[in-house]
Amino acid sequence: MRRLVLIGPAAEPRPHHINIGQISWDFSFSTEILIKRNHSSRLPARQKHFQLRTMLRELVLTDRSAFAAGAVIYGIAFLLGLVMLLLRRPYSRAAMFALLSGGFLIQTLGLNLRGAEIKACPLGNSFEIAQFISWSLVLLFFIIGPAFRLRLLGFFTAGLAALLSGVALLVPNWDQPYPAGIFGGNPWIELHAALAIFSYGVFAILSLVSIMFLIQQHGLKKKQFRGVYQYLPSVQQLDQMAKRLLLTGVIVLSAALLFGAVFWVNNPELVPIFKLTATCLIWFGYLVVVVLRIQKKLVTRHHAIASIILFLLAIASLWPVQSAREEPSAGVEATVQPSK
Amino acid sequence: MGDSLQSLFVLGSSHNEAPLEVRERLALSTEKLKTLQKTLLEDEIIRECLVVNTCNRLEVYGIANTSNRTEDSVRQHLCHIQGVERELLDQHSFWLTNLDVIQHALEVSSGLDSQMVGETEILGQMKDAYAQAKDENATGSVLNRLFEKSFQAAKSARTQTGITRGQISIGNVAVDLASRIFGKLSQSRVLLLGSGEVGQKTAQALRSRGVADIAVSSRTYENAHRLAHELKGSAIEFEDFTEQLHNFDVIISSTASPGALLRKDAVAEVMRGRPERPLFLIDLALPRDIDSAVEELENVYLYNLDDLSSIANQNLAARKTEIDHARAILKGHAWNLWLQLRRRELMRDV
Repeated sequence: MRRLVLIGPAAEPRPHHINIGQISWDFSFSTEILIKRNHSSRLPARQKHFQLRTMLRELVLTDRSAFAAGAVIYGIAFLLGLVMLLLRRPYSRAAMFALLSGGFLIQTLGLNLRGAEIKACPLGNSFEIAQFISWSLVLLFFIIGPAFRLRLLGFFTAGLAALLSGVALLVPNWDQPYPAGIFGGNPWIELHAALAIFSYGVFAILSLVSIMFLIQQHGLKKKQFRGVYQYLPSVQQLDQMAKRLLLTGVIVLSAALLFGAVFWVNNPELVPIFKLTATCLIWFGYLVVVVLRIQKKLVTRHHAIASIILFLLAIASLWPVQSAREEPSAGVEATVQPSK
Repeated sequence: MGDSLQSLFVLGSSHNEAPLEVRERLALSTEKLKTLQKTLLEDEIIRECLVVNTCNRLEVYGIANTSNRTEDSVRQHLCHIQGVERELLDQHSFWLTNLDVIQHALEVSSGLDSQMVGETEILGQMKDAYAQAKDENATGSVLNRLFEKSFQAAKSARTQTGITRGQISIGNVAVDLASRIFGKLSQSRVLLLGSGEVGQKTAQALRSRGVADIAVSSRTYENAHRLAHELKGSAIEFEDFTEQLHNFDVIISSTASPGALLRKDAVAEVMRGRPERPLFLIDLALPRDIDSAVEELENVYLYNLDDLSSIANQNLAARKTEIDHARAILKGHAWNLWLQLRRRELMRDV
């Protein structure tokens, strides 16, 4: 069970230090300071602090509960946007940003907890991959959202992040145990996996931008003026953003494949052929779209449709790839039990 | 309660009471407006007065010392100065007093009483009228308070309701659409074909939103040149415009051409050279200048006069649904102002 336990000084045993990734959190230190301060304070304040300590002692945060909290916050952000749109009013960007930040921080904590447990980047099963894509998606929103001020991107990001994170939590089979040290202690292959999944995050936000483009274009072609259309960014902005995201995603995925290729050349027997073929096909598909886009042969609507289809294929290919990887190790006893 | 406040009044005639021909006859020139204001103040029964005179309304606000013959006196002065029959004025005007005056002033300032509900031009006109009357020392403590508060109330009604949401003029609807296509318009180039009035206004609206450049092309080069000068743009020969189409992002067409000027194949050819850049075509001509099949082309957005009018009407209808909400807000403001003015009058009397 991977969990972060906040324990007061009265609890035994007292794990004063909890290692989460590279960070060591000392919770008992803060509670002891709290008690020292209590000696000099008056009785009602002391009682209040003791109550707080008791509450902290009760608080148990597992990686899955962190992921669940993150998904719920993303869901709240999406609902906030939806309600405001139904009321035909723009939502508060600050509120959307704050909710996404909250969800992102808690999801980061969840990934840290799981990463600390498996001592690797948490990309060992479909659940972790879905969480990582959702996390990358929100991270990218923080990068491009404020810079390009694309209206409604926060709303769509919150929706997709909640969906990916929520579905992963609702399907227990996705969080199957897997052998520890799945990446064989090779940092390059771990970097390959992280970059590849991050590029899927880029493609996720690209597909969101493409959906927004198609909605706005549909509104303009069908002479629709009210509702969601008036809050979406312009078609030209969305198209240009899609082009930039496509290039970024392909560069990141190419780098990921380059690192993976080094490992594959040295250990061809360890890389399932299905995984290799599916990944290369997805990469090739995106590469073709890039080339056609640069040649101005695949632009605007067709480009948006191609980006959405490729992302769906990329997501769909993850599970067969995952199964292909799990097959050889099916007999290996799982040493890491994901918390339920 | 001070008696004087009981005789707060407004005599008015607007699009609600009078047809265009009558409004034309009642509209005051600047000189006549000043004369009316002066004459009213010279009348011993009028303490303060202010005249609002726009294309759609003539309103005389004032406060009288006694309320017995105020209405008759104000009507007589207006008819005498403007040279209209008393019967005509009586038929096409309204007379309000006391709290109703406050509610009316607030509704006019916020655009609720305008033909185009929520239009903001009226607020500027009210402010000008107030400034002019104040300069002439025609207003006093009551009308000053009334008008200053009405400007504040108008702002609050606009921010708290949707009475100003959505554009209701053809030009501004076109600007909104251009923003949905291009985002910022600072990089967009506009071509105006023909010199129709709606086309000019649309081009002016786009210019006011900071488009990069406007070019004008008309069958009569002199017209094109004059219009280009007005719009701070350039003129191009009508015979050459098809060759230069690829340089423009927004094309406004309002010529008197009997047939289509732009056909699908011509626009398709233009788009082959600029597939990534959208093209916004606004056809304001009757009969239409642009073949409707053009809108089938990818990245081309074609809107005609009916489309723009329909959007403007939808927005206007949406604004109208907000009237009751805005009126309720203004009622609160009117009642507060009425109490304040009464308190002041009481203090004055004491």
